Amino acid sequence: MNKISYGQFASLLLITDAFALLCLYGNISVLTTAGFLTGIIIQTIMAIPVIKFYNSGGALKNCRKVVCWFYLIYLLLWGGILFSMLWNAAEIIYIPFENIGFVSEKLLISGLIAVSCLYVSSPGIKAMSRAGTIVAVLGVLCLLIFLVSAVPNAKFEYLTDLWNSNGFFDEFIRGFSISGSLGSFVVLLEFVNGSKTKSSIMYFSGKAILYTVVTIAATSVAGGIMTITNFPIVSAAELSQPFSVQRIDSLFLMIFVILAVFSIAVQVIAASYLFRLIFTSFSILRSTCSLVLMIGAAFALSKVGIYHWAYAIAVMVALLIVPTAMLIKKSRGRG
Amino acid sequence: MKTEDYYFSPIISDLKRNIDEIKKISGGSSDLLVNEFISGGIKCALLCCEGMLSTSTITKLILEPITNIDTKKSSEELFKHIQDKLLLSVDRLEAENYGNLFRTLNSGFAILIADGMAKALAFGVQGYAVRGIDEPAGEANIMGAHEGFVEVVRTNMSLLRRRMKSPFLVMELFVKGDKSQTDLCLCYMRDRVPKKLLKQIKNSLDNMQLESILSTGYVRPFTENKSFELFSSTGTTERPDVLCSKLIEGRVAILVDGVPFAIVIPRLFCESFQTLDDYAFKPYYSTFIRWIKYAAFIISVILPALYVSVAMYHPELLNSTLLMILVKSEAKAPLSLITESLGVLLMYEIIREAGIRLPKSVGGAVSIVSGLIIGDSAVDSGLISTPLLTMTALAVISGFVVPELNAPLTILRFAFLIAGGIFGLFGISLLACAVLINICATEDYGFPYTAPISPFKVRGMRDTFVREGMLKMQNGGFTVEEYHE
Repeated sequence: MNKISYGQFASLLLITDAFALLCLYGNISVLTTAGFLTGIIIQTIMAIPVIKFYNSGGALKNCRKVVCWFYLIYLLLWGGILFSMLWNAAEIIYIPFENIGFVSEKLLISGLIAVSCLYVSSPGIKAMSRAGTIVAVLGVLCLLIFLVSAVPNAKFEYLTDLWNSNGFFDEFIRGFSISGSLGSFVVLLEFVNGSKTKSSIMYFSGKAILYTVVTIAATSVAGGIMTITNFPIVSAAELSQPFSVQRIDSLFLMIFVILAVFSIAVQVIAASYLFRLIFTSFSILRSTCSLVLMIGAAFALSKVGIYHWAYAIAVMVALLIVPTAMLIKKSRGRG
Repeated sequence: MKTEDYYFSPIISDLKRNIDEIKKISGGSSDLLVNEFISGGIKCALLCCEGMLSTSTITKLILEPITNIDTKKSSEELFKHIQDKLLLSVDRLEAENYGNLFRTLNSGFAILIADGMAKALAFGVQGYAVRGIDEPAGEANIMGAHEGFVEVVRTNMSLLRRRMKSPFLVMELFVKGDKSQTDLCLCYMRDRVPKKLLKQIKNSLDNMQLESILSTGYVRPFTENKSFELFSSTGTTERPDVLCSKLIEGRVAILVDGVPFAIVIPRLFCESFQTLDDYAFKPYYSTFIRWIKYAAFIISVILPALYVSVAMYHPELLNSTLLMILVKSEAKAPLSLITESLGVLLMYEIIREAGIRLPKSVGGAVSIVSGLIIGDSAVDSGLISTPLLTMTALAVISGFVVPELNAPLTILRFAFLIAGGIFGLFGISLLACAVLINICATEDYGFPYTAPISPFKVRGMRDTFVREGMLKMQNGGFTVEEYHE
């Protein structure tokens, strides 16, 4: 089996989290940061049995097929959500379409992203994790530029301005609902070479730092226009310009697209692995099938409209199902 | 007669029949010289290939001593006498079949055959015309040695040995190519090379069944990954000093006779940005130059594409002054920006190719026609805008900084231009993802092309992002095995 290092593992998952954060919809405030952080702490605690499961030599292939099925559906749905997040955010990020008038905007974005994801996921987890590390470093660089640019535009009184924010509990749930990468966390942890504990600590601490830094910076920059903006993080990036006469939005647009491709490709590669576990004779077109199903899910979800609650519950179940399956297996073994 | 038929046929002991057979195999080729004489009472013949050996050497060292043997001997005694008593050449071989006979004969050896002997003696007296050791054209250097490889594999081996006197440097000569019978030399440091890597390379070379080997490009595909890779996971160098530094790091090299380049396995992406001069200058300056090269690489690939996509789809990213300059210059241009850019890049590639292929005496004319007539008049007539020409020229010149990557750079420049021209920055980003994954998937014998950047190796960074001083790098004992995955 292809093994990846703990740094590569954390990078792949943080890319997905960063993309979900960029596409964050609705108002944010300091309560958002607090809710998200609390959510991450709880996620870390809930992840302990999963880490123990893998540290004790467990593997998904040894679990019941229903567990694999659950994660497969979860990943396909999360992939679909990432696609719909991309469509929504694309409304404010300019992608030129005038050259291809006969294809719908959504379909064209999906098609191009899908082809790129398919190519990105085709060489396997090892190559993607190497590329993921480079993308993560690029992301950190962009974040630093964003922070440096945000300082002159930041007003720290927005941090204490809570009149337009949702309640703490709502933010806590919202934090869970954008943590869909926890599904790939459970699946990909198996691929990590070495300490699973170290990998998980690195991932969760990285996620906490990312969420805190981005939400605080975005609140302090875009606090004044929070009521009229749907995508606060993107708006904050647009408002944060390091030069008075020169805009650098292009940098953020480029990293946005790269993060989108890689975050979906991570789900594709994890889903493709589960396809292999479930259907052992299904050896070709696993990635293509995963992608087609994700795009289908995205169209379905955009029509249905699922609330944050549903996503949050799915995330919690994702973290609980492996230990539960393990416990059931143990108790049956004893019986 | 087929190659297979003669190759393993034993040499005929009867001299007349033997000579007839040799002439028959060679098809009466005019460069085969047969000199019959009597030595020690035995009928002998000295065979050589015209133009492949030194006449003075053969006369003084071989013909004179052999013809001076007076005592009557049997054929066996004659050969034994020559072998044991006469040191006619330092490079002496025996051939027992026609395959070996012809291989040595056509490599510039003088071949002695005698009546009653079913074998031939070969004496190394090569003296063919060769190019002298010269400064490598493609890997210029300011502070380092000015010697480059030549076309003769043995001279190249000596160039290596002069720099690496350690007995751990092993150079294994072998022959490949059914028709060309080319000498290949596998070089490695016995104490440094990863054993698995060496074994895998030998296996790859064993699978090579070429008719001829006329350049490194014939051998490289056999040692590379079979999947599509934009960048090559094996490198070449024409400098013996550079090759020595690679061998010390545990890499394997293949020298090919007739080619002044050595193949280096494995090759890493970051190595394309390193030159031997980096180690001659102060570390701070070398680090600066290295960063300039990284920047030049990125500029070379995406500058034309960025220019076109920003001008066409994202003009809000330009400040007002820049935008006005652009609008003014593009207002006169009759073609769309993407067509104009593609045209300029294509023109450049045509001119470059013409400059390479044309005789040097005409090369100057190409520069004048392209630079003055086409460039100047195209801008004056308004066919091409000045900013576009500036961007293209900048991108092209930046590509010269890393000449080794010129081939992928050229293709990528076009690909990014098309992606940026159709989909703007969105297209550039998508293509960047594809290129990134292709580079990261490039791997040869378990050595990732992107090491030590990703997978990240701290120790490798001291000669990648920066260039640490020799005081810190000495006794590092670094080998490429550290990057194996």
